[in-house]
Amino acid sequence: MYNTEFRGKLIEGNKSLGQISQDIVRPIDAKTPRWWFISMGISLVMLGLGLYAKYITVTEGIGSWGLNNSVGWGWAIINFVWWIGIGHAGTAFSIFLLILRQKWRTSINRAAEAMTVVAVMCAGLFPLLHMGRVWNFFFVLPYPNTRGPLWVNFNSPLFWDFVAITAYLLISASFWYFGMVPDFATIRDTTKSKIKKAVYGFFAFGWTGSSKEWLRYEALAFILGGIAAVLVVSVHSIVSTDFAVSVVPGWHTTIFPPYFVVGAIFSGFAMVLTLVTMIRKLYKMNDFITDSHVDAVTRVLIFVSLIMGTAYFTEVFIAWYSASEYEYYMFFKNRVFGEYAFQFWAMVICNAFIPQLFWWKKIRSNITAVFIISLFINLGMWFERFNIVVTTLAKDFLPAAWAGYSPSYIEILLFIGTLGLFGAGVLMFFRYIPMIAIHEVKSVAKYDKPSHERKHRNHEE
Amino acid sequence: MKNKYLLGVFGDEEHLLDAFEDLKANSYKIEEVYSPYPIHEILTGMGHKTRMTHAAFALGVVAVLGLLGFMYYAAVISWPLIYGGKPFNAFPSFIVVTLVATILIVTLGTLFFFSARAKIFPGKKAEIIHEGATDDKFVIVFNASDIKDNKDELYRLLKRHGVEDIVEK
Repeated sequence: MYNTEFRGKLIEGNKSLGQISQDIVRPIDAKTPRWWFISMGISLVMLGLGLYAKYITVTEGIGSWGLNNSVGWGWAIINFVWWIGIGHAGTAFSIFLLILRQKWRTSINRAAEAMTVVAVMCAGLFPLLHMGRVWNFFFVLPYPNTRGPLWVNFNSPLFWDFVAITAYLLISASFWYFGMVPDFATIRDTTKSKIKKAVYGFFAFGWTGSSKEWLRYEALAFILGGIAAVLVVSVHSIVSTDFAVSVVPGWHTTIFPPYFVVGAIFSGFAMVLTLVTMIRKLYKMNDFITDSHVDAVTRVLIFVSLIMGTAYFTEVFIAWYSASEYEYYMFFKNRVFGEYAFQFWAMVICNAFIPQLFWWKKIRSNITAVFIISLFINLGMWFERFNIVVTTLAKDFLPAAWAGYSPSYIEILLFIGTLGLFGAGVLMFFRYIPMIAIHEVKSVAKYDKPSHERKHRNHEE
Repeated sequence: MKNKYLLGVFGDEEHLLDAFEDLKANSYKIEEVYSPYPIHEILTGMGHKTRMTHAAFALGVVAVLGLLGFMYYAAVISWPLIYGGKPFNAFPSFIVVTLVATILIVTLGTLFFFSARAKIFPGKKAEIIHEGATDDKFVIVFNASDIKDNKDELYRLLKRHGVEDIVEK
């Protein structure tokens, strides 16, 4: 059972069940605040810039990007991997903590899952655009066609990636949506507005909360949780095989799959932290997302940061220990002390050193500091992707083919566009969807009562 | 009009469970229990069973065989093509797609089973028995015809366990 004395309260303020629904639904019923419109405006402008860049990319081709024959993957792939990494944590967070029966997940999982869905949509744009002729995108689907039939290459990591990303988007979106169905029913039954009743009533799919529904709902959650946990690990492993099955120094390493999965969880948890500190601040959800929630996430981040540091060190060590001069060159003369030293050290400092500040309780409990450190981690993870993609491609085995790379403004605008899409998506989520899983929070509220009040309910679920 | 149902409305889980256990002990026939969140004792106590896990497993087996069969057909029978000297049936590297696509198929299939069995689907109009059941109330529903002989006794039992409200509808 959950031990309040040991782990602290899950929800502050001794709320009744009715109050929990009210508090979480309040932002949906309240007048839209001014900052929301301002941030939405900014996001839409960014999205518009991204659309312009997409227009140029589609009409002129990817020649409008800063790529060349050597560096064929630039910002597009960096941003793809970065967004996928962020998108990982939502489901990782939700599902690993569900399987481990960590009750504190209930206040945060909804935001994490929402973030996942938007981030994966942002990620998916880049490979699509990188195809050049995006209107022929459907060639990647294995279906009986009039071109032979010519099938796709099932041995190619790029095809694995396509399958994995599609599956991940569909699964995380459905996991997120079905988690919200009982909450939509709560809004349907508590709201006074007729429009809201109709709209949320439609999305509630006729949910009533009967024991027959809950029984199957629980079964659904555990089946999806169980298999999606495998997916979380496999998706980013597959992303890493895009690199690791090649024979280029810096990519051809067996450490890549776990290194990518851990990195994904790291960047995603950081983004979750960014989001929940914002929800706390903007919507005064401190009673649900308590200090101990933030504390728990920061502790996870310390641990994952240490794994990241170990992975960086291992890569560099093996580059020396393997006595392969190409590996040695890639790491020592290109990354650690070479042309790309800035990106390398930015990555190490942001990901391996700065999160170590969380060892101090003072910093863990200072929300502003936590927010800033979470942004540093996101930045550091971007540099890690840059390091992996660009440094290796820029200098391969043939010095005559060495080339530098800097992004064109189109690539930068594409990235800004996805930031805008992410911002707009998250703002829509803040405004129209219960940010915290109401029914899940209710189911853990009883653990906060003093033990004499809960006479005989000391079971796990 | 004759009332069809009798509703015992409780304000918290403790009272609901006490009443539920007592009702079971006195072998009352309970039509259904509505609650804002799943309660394990109720789910087992109502005696329903779900075979969704079995269905998901069966679907997984079918998906694995189907996907491997399809890839074998595409890569070996329909249009054999040599990629980097690999054999046509490059089995180990088919596993990746098999794994991920199986997960996708099982997920979508399970959602379908859930929708069909729990009768939760887009456009369904909710048959709301008590508006509080998705907010903060726990509702035990009896079929009026099941309890017409010992209604008073039932009222007493529910009141003894701190029922907030008894509604006939």
